Amino acid sequence: MSAAAARIDSFSFHGDAGAALRNVQLSVRPGTLTAVLGGSGSGKTTLGKLLAGWLRAGHSGVLHGSLALGAEVLEFRGGSGDPRINPAAWSGRVGYVPQDAGAILSSVRSTVAEELAFGLENRGVARPEMIRQVARIAEQTGLSALLDRDPAQLSGGELRRLAVACAVIVEPQVLVLDEPLASLDAEGAGELRALVDGLLDAGTAVVLLSQAADALARNAGHWIILDGGTAVAEGPPADVEKGAVLRDAGVLAEGPDTGTPVRLPTAAAVAPGSVVPGSVAPAAAVPVLELRGIGFGYAAAKTPTGRPAKGPAGSLPASDLLRGVDLTVLPGEIVAITGTNGTGKSTLLRHFNGLLRPQAGEVLVEGRSIAGIRTGRIAASVGLLFQQPRDQLFERTVLREVGFGLRRLAGSPEAAAGRAQEALAAVGLSDAAQAHPAELASSRQRLLALATVLARRPAVIALDEPTVGLDRHGIERLQHATAAAAARGAGVVLVTHDLAYARTNAHRVLALDGGSLREL
Amino acid sequence: MSQQPLTLPDAGSRAGAAPRRRMLEIAGAAAIAATYVFLVLTQPVEIANGPASFSALVALGGFLLGAVLLLAAVLPVLPTSTLVLMPVAIVLNVVLGQLMGSTGLPFYLDAIGTVLIAVLAGPAAGAATGVLGSIVWSFFNPTVLPFAAGAALIGFLAGLAARAGLFRRFYFAPVAGFLTGILAGVVSAPIAAFVFGGTAGLGTGAIVSAFRAMGDTLLAAITKQALISDPMDKAIVFTIAALLAYALPRRTTFQFAFVRRFRVLAGKVPSDPAA
Amino acid sequence: MRLHPLTTLTAACSAAVVTTAAASWPLSVAVALAAVLLAARAGVAARVLGAAGIILAPLVLSLLVLHGLFFPEGQTVLAQWGPARITAEGLDFALELGSRTAASVLLLLLFSFTVSVPDLVTALAARGVPPQFSFVLASTLTLVPAMAGRLEKIRRAQEARGLVVERGLLSRLAAARLQAVPLVLGLVEDAGARAQALDARGFGTPGPRTSYRQLQDPPAQRILRAAALLLAAAAVVLRLVTAWPAAVPA
Repeated sequence: MSAAAARIDSFSFHGDAGAALRNVQLSVRPGTLTAVLGGSGSGKTTLGKLLAGWLRAGHSGVLHGSLALGAEVLEFRGGSGDPRINPAAWSGRVGYVPQDAGAILSSVRSTVAEELAFGLENRGVARPEMIRQVARIAEQTGLSALLDRDPAQLSGGELRRLAVACAVIVEPQVLVLDEPLASLDAEGAGELRALVDGLLDAGTAVVLLSQAADALARNAGHWIILDGGTAVAEGPPADVEKGAVLRDAGVLAEGPDTGTPVRLPTAAAVAPGSVVPGSVAPAAAVPVLELRGIGFGYAAAKTPTGRPAKGPAGSLPASDLLRGVDLTVLPGEIVAITGTNGTGKSTLLRHFNGLLRPQAGEVLVEGRSIAGIRTGRIAASVGLLFQQPRDQLFERTVLREVGFGLRRLAGSPEAAAGRAQEALAAVGLSDAAQAHPAELASSRQRLLALATVLARRPAVIALDEPTVGLDRHGIERLQHATAAAAARGAGVVLVTHDLAYARTNAHRVLALDGGSLREL
Repeated sequence: MSQQPLTLPDAGSRAGAAPRRRMLEIAGAAAIAATYVFLVLTQPVEIANGPASFSALVALGGFLLGAVLLLAAVLPVLPTSTLVLMPVAIVLNVVLGQLMGSTGLPFYLDAIGTVLIAVLAGPAAGAATGVLGSIVWSFFNPTVLPFAAGAALIGFLAGLAARAGLFRRFYFAPVAGFLTGILAGVVSAPIAAFVFGGTAGLGTGAIVSAFRAMGDTLLAAITKQALISDPMDKAIVFTIAALLAYALPRRTTFQFAFVRRFRVLAGKVPSDPAA
Repeated sequence: MRLHPLTTLTAACSAAVVTTAAASWPLSVAVALAAVLLAARAGVAARVLGAAGIILAPLVLSLLVLHGLFFPEGQTVLAQWGPARITAEGLDFALELGSRTAASVLLLLLFSFTVSVPDLVTALAARGVPPQFSFVLASTLTLVPAMAGRLEKIRRAQEARGLVVERGLLSRLAAARLQAVPLVLGLVEDAGARAQALDARGFGTPGPRTSYRQLQDPPAQRILRAAALLLAAAAVVLRLVTAWPAAVPA
């Protein structure tokens, strides 16, 4: 008998015209691991939330199909007579851990122990029992040492374990994990895998939602591949992996086949038949970006706006993040900077367009120093893509987003519109021109932010961890777009912890180590 | 842990609690109305500290009591999707309100969040946001607490306007705001007059001074000032809230049953999608 | 001795009510000073005075200008320029109302800057206050300090897109629209996800709730609270009784 089963004939959100899910069936047995794989926007999260009662028929959208827990079956016909799920009771049987681990927290509890007890408090559990349950679950998930800490100050791995503990404390029979390994380092990932093994041994059915066929997914007994809201393949992993269905659905396959290597244009190459304006032999080319002896440290920085605190000339405190960084980027060159978390890669990128000002050394863009020029003006020459694109998006449609500020740069409205369409085509978003940016899947939001940078045709393009959160299609688009920009004569700098991607896609790979750059 | 049933009972079977809630709502509204009438009738002819203190206590007691009764009636039945938006709305109120307060202009702009919630979730939620917002803001700025009843009124009227479809077109929203401002300004005037003896800003204080120079009583002067500042302020507030509501993606706004049921926002509601 | 949050709340409110009822500026000033001293002892004097300054400065100035210059009911005129007359009664009125408001503001700020929000939430839950109230209260109080950080992050992201913010007010207002939308969108998106999580964790269910966190409530503090409430009630009744005949027109 299955622990939980879902048959989704169709599900659409209120206010959306099309169905988010069509013809998907899922059935999980106790003690098994099932993996639902799909690219960004394929409907995995929607399926997971429907199974767990986080999205409910009538409340969140219109559902045709059925949900079953054990022997209880609920039928939904999309009308007002459908059963209304009690979310608290349902989550006692099926738990869900969201992709953003912090989203499951109540945010109004000041210690980890109280956060864990939040669900029990709402169910009226007696205090001695609560204390016992909290201790038990902390033991199981390795949180015993953190019970008095403030949840807002936990590290990524600790937060993920807390999120799993909050879902598991009520002892559900099924647990749905949405992208559990995202943004975890190797240690955190190992801890999480051990946790999942423990849950499977105890008889819980685990459903894994993922964009990549990674080691955890390969442990699964059953795979379902989603693409565009429907199931395109199902079965044991060995069977599904044969053929191109994974690639077509946008699922990343980890292993020797990471990303398709793109033939990189050399810095001085000129595509046959086109002329790159201003291109000269590399030795005589003016670097688009030059960093000379950059020194920077947060402890000494004065204000959040980055006004430099002038230290004594030539001597910098030992606590500085960046010390004597030199970097030269020629037009058409792609440079990758790698390094572990916390070494200052993002900090370095923020010096390119003046968001942070160096305490020593200078930054030159296209041969001119940027000291004293406001960031907004430097942005015409330096395009910076943040890790979290949401903060940059503010228009109502994708097309207006890309077109922002273009009229001044391009000269005429026609030229601006042309550039906007071109940028959208380069990232594969032409079909979404009238969509609301906030409604795009996260992978496509990233690509939209990239399009806004490309449309302005800056001389320097800086990308902060561009591969995080992108599915296979997204990564291909990224590769093509950066190669095209480099061919056009821009200098591209990418910061990434993915060494394999860096080696296949950059002319040069540098490592940020001990505050300065060295070749790899 | 006890086994709860997996489904909720039908919505109609909650009739038991409704009359008590209705009584609390009526009691709250009555307290506010009665206090206002009492203050207007008994306003001291000779203004001096003693009688002002009496009026202050009556105003504070009556209005706060009314606001708390309304809150107690409405709060337990608000759905979670509304409750999680309330901190966002209150933060909008507080941040903008404090900013405007420090510029000295005769505007408040401290009800944008309240109106936004009223548009999305209805008059009851709007009123609750007004009261709760005043209570939370008073943790940083205690002088806003006495105006809780006025804030509740703004939220309530905004919700009614949304229900009547006044937010479907951009040019109706400021009109609704203007009318709300008239009513809310008049109701809040006694608080400003008796609890504070004036207004909290220099711009508004200057307007009151002008009327006082013409010989009006304090309450009359402040009421006239309110009739000048509040309608314009609320018209702006309603417009900004409408802009924000339309800037949100439809999936977010249409999850609220109030928006769907009363067609609060313009735009085609999609019919049942073909399989 | 750790004060129960309701004790500090009751004390602050009762003191504010008594000061308002007493209507005597020496008492108001004394209470205000006492509040500042207590704040200094609790280590929050700088924050309390800072917040009080921002709130009270425009109010007191406005009162002085309004009642100092325009007080038609005043008899003792000290100076006169056209319609503006400085009257002793006007200044007196401004002083009394200003000091009364200052005392109440300082008392309530003292409370809010010394209270521990988790303790307050627990105390309210123990008294049967609906959990929705404490949720919104605690959530907003956590969100407000984080606002400045969020706005800053958004402003930098916008600048990286080419937004140039000049120093003029108009330019900053225009830029504000571009920052308001991602701010509100981000907050609303987070709220939506949180609502689903809260429902799943049982937040929306009616019925009895228990509390993991516990507070000590010694009987001495309960007596203190009762006494404070009685004192406030007595002051209110006294004021109503003494002022009533004069307030109601014949």
